[in-house]
Amino acid sequence: MFNIFREKKQTELNLVLDDLTALEQYIHDLFNFSPLPVCFISPIGVILEVNPALEKVTGFKMDEVIGESIEKIFDKDEASFLIRDTLKEGVVDNRELLLLSKGGNKIIAQVSTRVRKDENNETVGFFISLSDLTRIKKTEAELKRIQEALLNILEDTEQARKKAEEERNKTEAIIVNLTDGLVFFDRNHNLAMINPQAEKFFGVKAEDIVGENIKSLINSGNFALPAKFLGPEIKTVFRKELVLDRHTILEISTSAMGSEGEDLGDLVVFHDVSREKAVERLKTEFVSLAAHQLRTPLSAIKWSLRMVLDGDAGKIKQEQREILEKTYQSNERMISLINDLLNLSRIEEGRYVINPVALDLAKICLQVIESFKDSFSNKGLKFKIFQSSLKPIFVIADEEKLKLTVQNLLDNALKYTPAKGVVEVSLKQIGKNVRLEVRDTGIGIAKEEQGRIFSKFFRGSQAVLIEPTGTGLGLYMAKNIIEGHGGKIGFSSEQGKGSVFYFTLPKQKKGVSL
Amino acid sequence: MKRVLIIEDEEIMLKLLKRKLSQDYEVFTATDGQQGLDMIKRAAPDLILLDLVMPKMDGFGVMEEITKDENLKKIPLVVISNSGQPVEMDKIKEMGARDWLIKTEFDPQELSDKVKKIIGT
Repeated sequence: MFNIFREKKQTELNLVLDDLTALEQYIHDLFNFSPLPVCFISPIGVILEVNPALEKVTGFKMDEVIGESIEKIFDKDEASFLIRDTLKEGVVDNRELLLLSKGGNKIIAQVSTRVRKDENNETVGFFISLSDLTRIKKTEAELKRIQEALLNILEDTEQARKKAEEERNKTEAIIVNLTDGLVFFDRNHNLAMINPQAEKFFGVKAEDIVGENIKSLINSGNFALPAKFLGPEIKTVFRKELVLDRHTILEISTSAMGSEGEDLGDLVVFHDVSREKAVERLKTEFVSLAAHQLRTPLSAIKWSLRMVLDGDAGKIKQEQREILEKTYQSNERMISLINDLLNLSRIEEGRYVINPVALDLAKICLQVIESFKDSFSNKGLKFKIFQSSLKPIFVIADEEKLKLTVQNLLDNALKYTPAKGVVEVSLKQIGKNVRLEVRDTGIGIAKEEQGRIFSKFFRGSQAVLIEPTGTGLGLYMAKNIIEGHGGKIGFSSEQGKGSVFYFTLPKQKKGVSL
Repeated sequence: MKRVLIIEDEEIMLKLLKRKLSQDYEVFTATDGQQGLDMIKRAAPDLILLDLVMPKMDGFGVMEEITKDENLKKIPLVVISNSGQPVEMDKIKEMGARDWLIKTEFDPQELSDKVKKIIGT
């Protein structure tokens, strides 16, 4: 009975033992099979067991690490914290640690631990399970890098956008606040932009006309006047006047806009010159009136003297004649001064070139020169003419004004060249232009005064000493006339040695008239 | 003897012109536009010398009235003036004046020659 009991007990024990062995094997298999790297560590940090997954991730063979300190596979400091925290808390969840591989690589791993206790509740060690975060970290780092790059790009874009916006705002502010009217037509001649000043000039609203083609703008609406002025093809103009109403005169300039050879369209600028024009008109009216009022007594004097001198009022003595003749000459000077003033006001009114016809410049020059010959010889000046060809040289000009110009240049040479000097006039054809040159050996113009020589009323300091009665208008008028004819005028001069004044005019074929 | 009418408000000019032209013509005078217009009708001159700036009716007014009358329109008319702005000159020619002259640019002899050229003596 007892034996049976003992046997039975022995059998039961064996069974339990078998079960236990089987269980141990099961656990061992499971431990080995787990794809999760796991190890078991003693409370003092000695590696007691590792599974193949851990071998794989660390590169260490089982026998290389078992019995070794945990510091073999973990960072020393991190390992000691891990042991401390695990023993204190019983568990550590998902802590990131550096795992040291055999090859010396540091692998970022996420680690969890859990203590194991025996039946007496004594800690016998702890499990560490870890997952390799390297790839995740790498991906994460990559993502972060991409994110940063994206953020940088966004930031750059934002900055660029801000800068562009600032620039745009600046440009817009300039366009909006400009006192000139601005209108932009795209390359198809559709109105693309109009600024507030231009809206104001023409009494139009941007929203009503933006997008409209110039051809339809010409036909109706408040913008018809400037549109007609510009024409369906938007002709190129520079500072052309457009009379808007009784009080407003605009100066219109167009400018073709292009970028890298691409036609973008045309910008039209409307500059309000009403005030300038009003002042100019008042001044001109004043000068005209003053000139007229001055001429009336001068013509009375002229006619009285002439009649007396001609003997129409009875015979006069030689002495009286001489005195009256001098008075007559003085009066003539006054008249020419007034004429200068009148001409000047006309030049400035822009209606000076009233009668442009095809003229032979050579003939005109010879006529003017003829009237100067006596004066030159009386003063003891040598006078020479150079002409490259005897054929007529045609220019389109107003005869009276052209003569006046040649006269002014010769008059200066005569006045400001001392006796025994030389005055040379030459006429040359240069390409499509003809050039008239008056060279003298006169007093010249001081360097510091040369910049002002064509200014209205300006007279050189030396010139004033020699000829106190000049008006300072001759060269000013000459410049206005020549430029009004599409020519150029200029000079070179050296004080005490002489001056060369010249102008060029475009040549024309005979018979061509405007 | 042919008749010349001078319409001119300035006394000295009128006197000088009259004196000069009286050598060859029967000269009538008027000192403003209105008077001048009456005189044109009464004296039937062969030529009119007309000033522009005058009281009552200026030279432009006189020319306007003349152009309304087919007979008066035929009388040669020379404008004598101290102005002579291009716009005025254009207007004067448009209104049928034979010629214009700026007083400062002419002397009495030249004027007399001009008149002779137009109507003879």
